[in-house]
Amino acid sequence: MAMRLWASKSASYFKISVFNRGFATVLKDLKYADSHEWVKVEGSSATVGITDHAQDHLGDVVYVELPELGTAVTQGSSFGAVESVKATSDINSPVSGKVVEVNKELDESPGLVNGSPYEKGWIMKVELSNNDELKSLMDSDSYSKFCDEEDAKH
Amino acid sequence: MITNPSFVIHPPQISSRKSTPSIHFSNFNSSQAIPIAYDSKRRCDVFDMHNELVPYAKAWTWQKSIVEERKKLVDKNEDLCDSVIILQHPSVYTLGIGSSEDHLKGIKNFYRTDRGGEVTYHGPGQLVMYPILNLRYHTMDLHWYLRALEEVVIRVLSSCFTIKAARHEGLTGVWFGDQKVAAIGVRASKWITHHGVSVNVTADLTPFDRIVPCGIQDRQVGSIKELLRQPLSFEECGKLHFTDDQLVNATYESLMKEFSEVFQVQLCMKPRPYYTENNISRLTV
Repeated sequence: MAMRLWASKSASYFKISVFNRGFATVLKDLKYADSHEWVKVEGSSATVGITDHAQDHLGDVVYVELPELGTAVTQGSSFGAVESVKATSDINSPVSGKVVEVNKELDESPGLVNGSPYEKGWIMKVELSNNDELKSLMDSDSYSKFCDEEDAKH
Repeated sequence: MITNPSFVIHPPQISSRKSTPSIHFSNFNSSQAIPIAYDSKRRCDVFDMHNELVPYAKAWTWQKSIVEERKKLVDKNEDLCDSVIILQHPSVYTLGIGSSEDHLKGIKNFYRTDRGGEVTYHGPGQLVMYPILNLRYHTMDLHWYLRALEEVVIRVLSSCFTIKAARHEGLTGVWFGDQKVAAIGVRASKWITHHGVSVNVTADLTPFDRIVPCGIQDRQVGSIKELLRQPLSFEECGKLHFTDDQLVNATYESLMKEFSEVFQVQLCMKPRPYYTENNISRLTV
């Protein structure tokens, strides 16, 4: 984990393309946004988090700003933030709906986002307002390719 | 277009004293960041208020409005220009999103902001620079961005004051020995940055005693003025007579020059906005 992180940071720092896509995990049954959030849909309910690619580039997450329960979220708009070493990044919702649950574990253990981005590091659960929006998200293969292209540019 | 600094101070070189600072120039290579020719450099509007005390809330609201405008332009593929604001603040303590209030040591008046980083103090004599950059046009890596901001300040201290400042592994900011001279805390929203870096030029540093600056217990805070005061030898004592205004102006000029170099942007001076107690007039971005 540490080596992967170092490789990613150093690669960015020195502008070398050594970042191997084989490192970062992409799960098959999830959908992905181009801002590197994932969503797992179960009926009209969705769980949202940030991808392995995202947490790898961020580095150690030291704080997660969670949305309030009941907040309305819109696809593509910010719903919270993650902080890693003096830099805070917005996280954008891949779906629209209402926040019905947030992962309070992240208050005490923000590092779960790094260690388990698709499971214990989930961020919020949303009651979907529009299942059609899912069509505009990427599947795992498209997302992997998207990450490769993005990393190759930088 | 910013010209070369009109006033550059060349005091005797500051050397280490009680502590041994890690004196090494960074190997940051800005030429690797943007592979474009000079005449196609990205434009960056400069809002120069370096001699003004802008209330923190006003500046923050202003930044957020610029970021929102820029996000709309990004959606239309029309984000043609970055911005940078440079100013001073009246005395204020601010916290980052995850900052512990314990580091405030009981202080009640503070702003909880949306930047990264812990508690810090802003006040007169400290230059604060807020670059609002779209990192898609630079490098889409927040770690790179933090290192780049540090690089700007390290170069300023070196070229303008011959102070050899450095980075400390794991402690973002710019240091001379165990004294932090510049603090950094940023926010990125769809890769558009705001907040930024604060450099202690002539600021009174005693307000830092009331907090645990940046949550770091066993370090100190320094300023350019204090570093320049440390004489090398008895003969050098008293030779340096620069007014606070001269120091601030020289730092500002150098910050603009080094910022444009590190980020490879073409600076374009903009008129300062007019703001009242209640609002800041909308700016064309």
